[in-house]
Parts: sequence; structure tokens; C-alpha cells
Amino acid sequence: MSGKNNKAFTKEEELLLQDFSRNVSTKSSALFYGNAFIVSAIPIWLFWRVHSLEISTAIIWFILVTAASTWLLALAYRNTKFQLKHRVAVRREDAVAREMSRKLADDKKMSRKEKDERILWKKNEVADYEATTYSIFYNNALFLTIVILSSFYILRTFTPTVNYIVSLTAASGLLALLSTGTK
Amino acid sequence: MVTKSFIYIITIALIGSICAESCQNPKVEASYFTSLDATVVTQIAYITEFTLKCDNTLPENYGLYAEVDGKSLTAARIGENKYQISWTEEPAKARSGVHQINILDEEGWASLRRARRADPAASVAPLLAIQLSHPGSYSGPWVNSEILATFISILVAYTALRNKSKILA
Repeated sequence: MSGKNNKAFTKEEELLLQDFSRNVSTKSSALFYGNAFIVSAIPIWLFWRVHSLEISTAIIWFILVTAASTWLLALAYRNTKFQLKHRVAVRREDAVAREMSRKLADDKKMSRKEKDERILWKKNEVADYEATTYSIFYNNALFLTIVILSSFYILRTFTPTVNYIVSLTAASGLLALLSTGTK
Repeated sequence: MVTKSFIYIITIALIGSICAESCQNPKVEASYFTSLDATVVTQIAYITEFTLKCDNTLPENYGLYAEVDGKSLTAARIGENKYQISWTEEPAKARSGVHQINILDEEGWASLRRARRADPAASVAPLLAIQLSHPGSYSGPWVNSEILATFISILVAYTALRNKSKILA
């Protein structure tokens, strides 16, 4: 009986975790898109000031490339987060469970089931948050490195407009592509 | 007899005129300028302007000469008792710090020339000395900003990659 219960619990746990990770909440989505937009917009400053790309001449390109880059980066964030979340959950579950148990130990009114549910929810929340922030950090770091390397070294001899378009689309495209890979 | 006394008179007159020409009790008010930016200039300029005040009135075209760091320069007259001394240096050779400018009048200059003919290291007491302080010129950053940015971004990206593989391991 207890064995069956344990099995059901574990399966439920897995299902819940999977469920949560497939759905990106609205808040997460907003965070991803907002971040992606800011990070895609930063190189505009770089190209305007350092590579002398006039805003008035290249405004259309700025808008198009920023939009494409935002979408691609948000995709990369989502995929990376999905990749990381389960692994992070596995790593953090013991620590979270310990802390939550300590917190809820004094509460005699709560049933064991409710306590377990709370612990599970907390594990999920912690894993979600850590995976989200790490995904954003990781993708931003790589994106900016690729943009700097390609605009200052690889595409140095090209016109600023071409430099801008290729650098950004290559960087965000590469990240989106890498994020879909399975490890 | 007449010739001898004539010679004496001429000599005294000459000495008298020379004494009258020299500046008695010189006082100077000086200002200076040096190039502080070495990024777009090919030479570093040192300029000092000063006003000379003497107890006696100076003759017309009272010339001044200067010696700085072994260089001999002529002072340009830019106004009533106002003079300017300027020279340029290669940015690589220009040193910061105090440059001592020794200023001599024509008589002093001539005596310095004479002394130098005999002994190249000889020096004559200057009429006045001006200190020009050069704080040094800025010749650009030590590390180019794009190289620094590249280096830092690679460092951060490497950390991110390593941690990701650690998490996924």
C-alpha cells in the first residue's frame, strides 16, 4: 500500500515538474521578452557611437534586426531554461526539502500531504527561478561576447550596416540554435 | 695725449652705456603653458610669457636670450616689457616636471658665448630664472577599450559555459 502510494507520489512529482517546465508562465514570458529586447537594443548604442552607423540612415534595419534578435533570444532563454530546470531541481531538492521541513516542523495542524505538496511547490519555484536567471545570464554573456568578437574582429572590414545586421542575427541565431540542441 | 684721453672718454662712455642697458634689480611675472594632450599632436609645446620690471628704463629693442635644458633660444618681444619664450619637444622625449629657464640679456649672452668657447660646461649667472612646470601629457589609455571589452566578455562567457556544464553534468 505504502509502496503504491510512494510510486504515485513520485510519478506525480515527475508529472508536476514536467508540466511546470513546459508551460512558461506569463510572468516568465514577460521577463524573457523584456530582457531579450534590452539586450538586443544595447548593440545599437555600440554601432552608433563606435562603428559610426548613423541612426537616421539605418533606422529600419535597427528595428527589424532588434525585433528578430529579441524573438530569437527569447527562444534561446526558454529552451535553455527548460534544459536546466530539471537538473537544477534535482540538485536543489534536498536543500529545499530540508529548509521547508524545518520551517513547517512547528506547524502541527498541517497534514503530511499538505507539507509534502508545499515542499514540492517550493522546489519547483526555486528551480524555476534559478533556471530562469541562469538562462538569462548565460545567453546574455554569450550574445554580447559573440557580438563584440564579430563586430570588432571578424567583420571589421565590412560596412557598419552589414556589420550590424550580420553580427546580431548571427549571434542570436547561433544561440537559438545551440539552445535547441539536446545534451 | 688727445688721442689717449679720447680713447678713455670713449671707453667710459661705452662702459656707461653698457651699464645703463642692463636691467637693474629685475622682477618678473611669468605665466606658462604646455601641451597636455599628446594623442593628436606631433610635438609638445612649452610656452612661457613674462613681464620684466626693472628699476631703470630699458632701451628700445632690449633683447633677451634663454637657455633651457641645453637649448639656446631667443625671447620674442610681444609687448612693452613683455616677452615670450617657446620651444617644442618630441612627445617621447618630453619629460614632465620643472624646467629651469635661465634668461640672459645681450651682455650676459655674449659673456656666456665667450666662456663657452673656452670651456663648454661653463655657465654665467643669469639675469633671472623662470621655473616651468610640465605635468605630463596624456597619450591615450594603456589598454585599448575594445580589447578590454573583448577580454572581459570572454571571461564572463567562459564562466557561464563552465557553470552550465557543471549544472548539466
